Amino acid sequence: MSSITKTDLADRPGFAVRLGGVAFGQYAAAGLIALFLLAFLVVPVLTVIVAAFQDKHSGAFTLINVYDFLRNELFLRSFWNSLYVSLMSVLWATVLALPLAYITTRFAFRGAVMIQTLGIIPLIMPPFAGAIAMQLLFGRNGTVNLLLGDWFGINLPLMEGLNGVIFVQAVHYFPFILINLSTSLRNIDRAMEEAAQNLGAHGFRLFRKVVFPLAMPGYIAGASLVFVKVFDDLATPLLLNVQDMLAPQAFLRITSIGIADPIGYVIAVVLIVFSVFALWLASFATRGKDYATIQRGGGGLSKRQMTRLDAVFAYGVIGFILAIVLAPHLGLLLLSFATIWSYAPLPDGFTFAHYRTIFGESSQLITNTLIYATLAGIIGVCLGTAISYLVARTKVIGARWLDFIAMSALAVPGVVLGMGYLRTYYAIELPWGGSLAAFWGMIAIALGVRRLPYALRACSAALQQVSVSLEEAAENVGATKARTIRRVVVPLMTGGIVAGFVTSFATAAVELSATMMLVQSTADAPLAYGLYVFMQSPAGRGAGAALGVLAVVIVGICTYLSHVYLERRSAPSRREEGA
Amino acid sequence: MKRRDFLIGSCLAPVVLSASVNAQQKRTLSIVTSLPKELSSAYKAAFEKLNPDINVEVQQRGTQAAVTYLRETRAKSATDIFWASAPDAFEVLKGEGLLAKFVPADTGVPAKIGDYPINDPEGYYAGFALSGAAIMWNSRYVRANNLPAVKGWNDLALPVMFDHVAMAMPSRSGSTHLTVETILQARGWKDGWALLKSVCGNMRLITERSFGVPDGVTSGQFGFGVVLDYQALAARGAGFPVEFVHPSDTTIVPSNIGVVRDGPNSAAAQKFIEFMLSPDGQAILFEPTVGRLPVRPDSYKKAPAGTPNPFAIEWGGGGGFKFDVDRSEKRYAIVDVVFDQLISFQLQPLKNVTKTLHAVDANLAKRPNAEAATLAAQAREAIALMPFDDKEAQSAEFAEAFHGSNEKKKGPRQAELEQKWASFARDNYAKAQQLADKAAQLAG
Amino acid sequence: MTHIDASGLKTAGISIRKVNLSYGSLQVLKYVDLEIQPGEFFAFLGPSGCGKTTLLRVIAGFNTPQSGSVTVGGREVLSLPPWKRDVGMVFQSYALWPHMSVRKNVAFGLEERRLPKDEIGRRVDKALELVGLGHLGSRRPSELSGGQQQRVALARTIAIEPTVLLLDEPLSNLDASLRVQVRRDLLAMQRRLGLTTIFVTHDQEEANTICDRIAVMKDGVIQQVGTPMALYDNPVNLFVASFLGTANILDGAMRTNGREQVFELPCGSRFPVPDEHRTGAKLFFRPQNARLALAGDQAETASVRVKGKVSHKEFLGASVRYGIRTEGGEVFADIPHARGEAHLPDEHIVGVDVPLSRVNYLPA
Repeated sequence: MSSITKTDLADRPGFAVRLGGVAFGQYAAAGLIALFLLAFLVVPVLTVIVAAFQDKHSGAFTLINVYDFLRNELFLRSFWNSLYVSLMSVLWATVLALPLAYITTRFAFRGAVMIQTLGIIPLIMPPFAGAIAMQLLFGRNGTVNLLLGDWFGINLPLMEGLNGVIFVQAVHYFPFILINLSTSLRNIDRAMEEAAQNLGAHGFRLFRKVVFPLAMPGYIAGASLVFVKVFDDLATPLLLNVQDMLAPQAFLRITSIGIADPIGYVIAVVLIVFSVFALWLASFATRGKDYATIQRGGGGLSKRQMTRLDAVFAYGVIGFILAIVLAPHLGLLLLSFATIWSYAPLPDGFTFAHYRTIFGESSQLITNTLIYATLAGIIGVCLGTAISYLVARTKVIGARWLDFIAMSALAVPGVVLGMGYLRTYYAIELPWGGSLAAFWGMIAIALGVRRLPYALRACSAALQQVSVSLEEAAENVGATKARTIRRVVVPLMTGGIVAGFVTSFATAAVELSATMMLVQSTADAPLAYGLYVFMQSPAGRGAGAALGVLAVVIVGICTYLSHVYLERRSAPSRREEGA
Repeated sequence: MKRRDFLIGSCLAPVVLSASVNAQQKRTLSIVTSLPKELSSAYKAAFEKLNPDINVEVQQRGTQAAVTYLRETRAKSATDIFWASAPDAFEVLKGEGLLAKFVPADTGVPAKIGDYPINDPEGYYAGFALSGAAIMWNSRYVRANNLPAVKGWNDLALPVMFDHVAMAMPSRSGSTHLTVETILQARGWKDGWALLKSVCGNMRLITERSFGVPDGVTSGQFGFGVVLDYQALAARGAGFPVEFVHPSDTTIVPSNIGVVRDGPNSAAAQKFIEFMLSPDGQAILFEPTVGRLPVRPDSYKKAPAGTPNPFAIEWGGGGGFKFDVDRSEKRYAIVDVVFDQLISFQLQPLKNVTKTLHAVDANLAKRPNAEAATLAAQAREAIALMPFDDKEAQSAEFAEAFHGSNEKKKGPRQAELEQKWASFARDNYAKAQQLADKAAQLAG
Repeated sequence: MTHIDASGLKTAGISIRKVNLSYGSLQVLKYVDLEIQPGEFFAFLGPSGCGKTTLLRVIAGFNTPQSGSVTVGGREVLSLPPWKRDVGMVFQSYALWPHMSVRKNVAFGLEERRLPKDEIGRRVDKALELVGLGHLGSRRPSELSGGQQQRVALARTIAIEPTVLLLDEPLSNLDASLRVQVRRDLLAMQRRLGLTTIFVTHDQEEANTICDRIAVMKDGVIQQVGTPMALYDNPVNLFVASFLGTANILDGAMRTNGREQVFELPCGSRFPVPDEHRTGAKLFFRPQNARLALAGDQAETASVRVKGKVSHKEFLGASVRYGIRTEGGEVFADIPHARGEAHLPDEHIVGVDVPLSRVNYLPA
């Protein structure tokens, strides 16, 4: 193309206009995204966390609160605890995710789609129900320890203190690594691996030296999500009664009654800043490395046949991991059928009564959940695709900031976002009456914003693996930018987009904290809210669990369908192997 | 506007708009509550049956979330009734002018139970049910771990109870706050904290969810929990193997209901509360999964077997003290924060030293050693030390540090106080641990 | 490039016996039998989909045949995993690892062999010098041109001193101008190393110019094996004949005329056929073996003559390629071009003469 001179370009009518149009289109898209983020993330959050920088008596600007934060032993201890727990959770999540991702993407394996789906189920941890089920199974007097106590007189402190948090978080969030890593692995040109085998590498060394580094963008995307998510998560530590971590401290302080305490908002600011910093670090680590390995518009690792011994080993490993990560859901299932389950390895008896209890109310809850979660997923992947494209492929000024701002949603506690929405939009009246903040669409937007980071990271990783030359090829044969994106880039990113949608959808379906602030009537309530309502009394525990099971099953089915779709899309390219 | 309306409305907006006016004729009574679903839905069903023209819309939120919600929506409140257990939440709302004054028609509810007023003396909220602090236990757990029967707070401090007890943070649970405040009033500031610290040294955990305590007891995660009696009653009503006892020096407090200021349907709100306080309304409280105690003394004639009658118990007086509401209010935030800084967030060191002292006691019982006993007593003193006394706790200086008043501040900031108290506790627990370790060497 | 001592490298022959490979119902390799001599530069030539890459991958161990045997240097390799075969392969896409520097890429195989560090360093230097990239060791693959990447891939493979070198379409990703140079370099290096090399390509010119012998493949079957010249001059079937260059094919009938075997064209002309070609069904000759006879020229004895009209012509510089429409179809004839010589006009009636010694007969 270098032979085309300036005069050639000028001779082509409309070329300069088109170039201008491209840039204009990109800036228009960036502007719209910025506007959306401003309206539904930045402004609402600022209205709340501005208290961090206000004198609590006069309301004047001050940094004294930040100073107080830095001088407080409890907060510093909480910071280090949060950091430790996040890093350890990433480590253990990796240990859980690696074998699943590797085995299912690398071998011709029966039930690979099923395993991929089951591997995502842990993300769908219904609030309260998951923690209660975990306690019933792994707690000090849970099934495992009661049996161990009976048989060997030992008690494993699986759910105690920081280790308990790490255990639960690793189990809960490892799907982020699984999904992103699997997508990356699928996109590696198999010649990359064969070349290494040809030179004498195999087994774990091959994986460590070649396959894993090539899948790094996906891994980093997943691992950074796990890290930031664990760092910012308040529900799990609080449910396990660990209060000396940063996010729980922020929550405890922001939501305490009757005490005007700006430090909670300072912590929220610290969480946001640190999370963005961690994500920046992650993006810095992967930047400048040309890992675009889809060069032929397809490829992927060849799926190998396993020997019988391999298969036994692989199924063993997978079975063990799935047993651990699906334990909370097994516990939930037991709980939903249990009459009474108290200080015993198993419930006293089983009943369908809980399902009958929820039968009448669940259909509205399910409809609402599916609508909200789908909208949240769509918001996530639309913005995610657009932002990742702007960052990776255009020179739009400030695109990277859109990325960081969108990612900072990860660090915003749901309750802060919910409060911000009420504060920003409650006074705005809708034409048909009622407040804008009370409009059900706001729940969907709040969920979409909260889950945007998941979709964004998945889309970015996918785009990073699509070689620019494929795009150039399309433009070379005369496709416009917009058409290239639609017909070439987006289809090649399908894996990442589906992964992003699945994670946003699945997690939005069980999200509670922001919803809690915004739900105005039971008619608008999603499943997670219904579940919360049930879980507030001993009698409602079984019914809550039943609702939780229902949520997991429905979201699980949707996830499975997405995976089937994904496998179908990528299957044709794999069939060409023989040539 | 509901979702389905909206979906249709996007194509048929004018038609639906006129139709929805007709649908509005059934009036909606909007209730925000932190109370369990069993309770609210029982009242919703009964009230709607009596008033077919009113549709009761119940929104369940945690107490904190509910308060925040009411605060953030005050510009045009969509809520008629706030309904919750914790009296402090009502005090906060009252203070911020979010509640309307209302006078229930004469209901036959006495003004006070023990020393505690059942209705807000200023008339902003009313008690609808009574509950007393209780110690709840899981009988299977107690049997399996060979734990003794419990009658009062002191029993929870026994060595055998180590790691078997749980409670909620008073800063997170209004009812637990009242329990703590009652202990402090009954035993005095110094002895009260000493008792609390020795009980908390036995804590398995101190949770931020007040429901986490009955939940853990019912599922058997720990044996004993500091709860309100209805939590035990409801769990027992649902079939769980739990029992409870009212310790002698405790007080009974009302669960409350109040009308939200400028709510859309105040008339219906008033009606709802009157129904709740009527004999029929009060009878609903006896349903097994609800398990609350009515505020009408006459309701107890029809009480199910095994239900305690709070009007027959001599509350407060049993411990020989008068509950001072004024004092409680003045140091409300201080007690919460002190508890968190001295106990909740220092639980591990406190537990460690408590465990050592339990071991020392066991050895001393077998082989007395005067020196070790002295050291152990010194360790206990070090644990019990408080950074300030009762008078200071009620001082204006402290109160100002914790509340955002518009006055110009002179005193220390909240964060400074917290840090000071936390290091005070840390140092004293460390000192106590040293003493206890020495005692353990001598006694061992 | 510095000289490299070939004595350090071991080299081996390859023998492939009755190799069958299928994906489901699609049979990709059918009873493939092949002997490749030690030190030979051998090509698998054929159109895409003929199974040539699959056969190469069978040798490397990336495809597993259902039956058959493959030995490298007398050692049966089918039961061995790829990493134990000592068979070096250069991939079409080069498959350079983007996360490693050039040196790291080249050192990879040596590290896998757990060689001492200094020896690795020495051999990496040697391999990079051999391909002339000694100065680019610290670059990332993405910072190299296509030709440089290809040489890194080669260096990476050679560094492990394999017994056999497999090249999968190594020139296909290069500019046309670069190809000629690279293939000469390849040949020179192969000669110096004396390494048994298999070269997969669909371009007969590439195969012809550098390979000692070629196996032409189609539909998973080896059609013919031989030196480039033998295949060009004496193809065993129509496919080989046309795949290796422009072929003129004339239909006709093989008849026995008394003691003599003759081939009769549709126009009636007959030519004697040597005994070894008595099974042939079609007459075949290359364009450069034909001469054009103008009206009045005597047909040479012992040559085939067909009549036709000039349908088109291509000026190739050294020669002119005439397309001649004949009764049996179009025939090409390459006529050397001399300075100033005029070309025949279209529709000019000519005779195409081919000496009998330069025609061949092929089965249908």
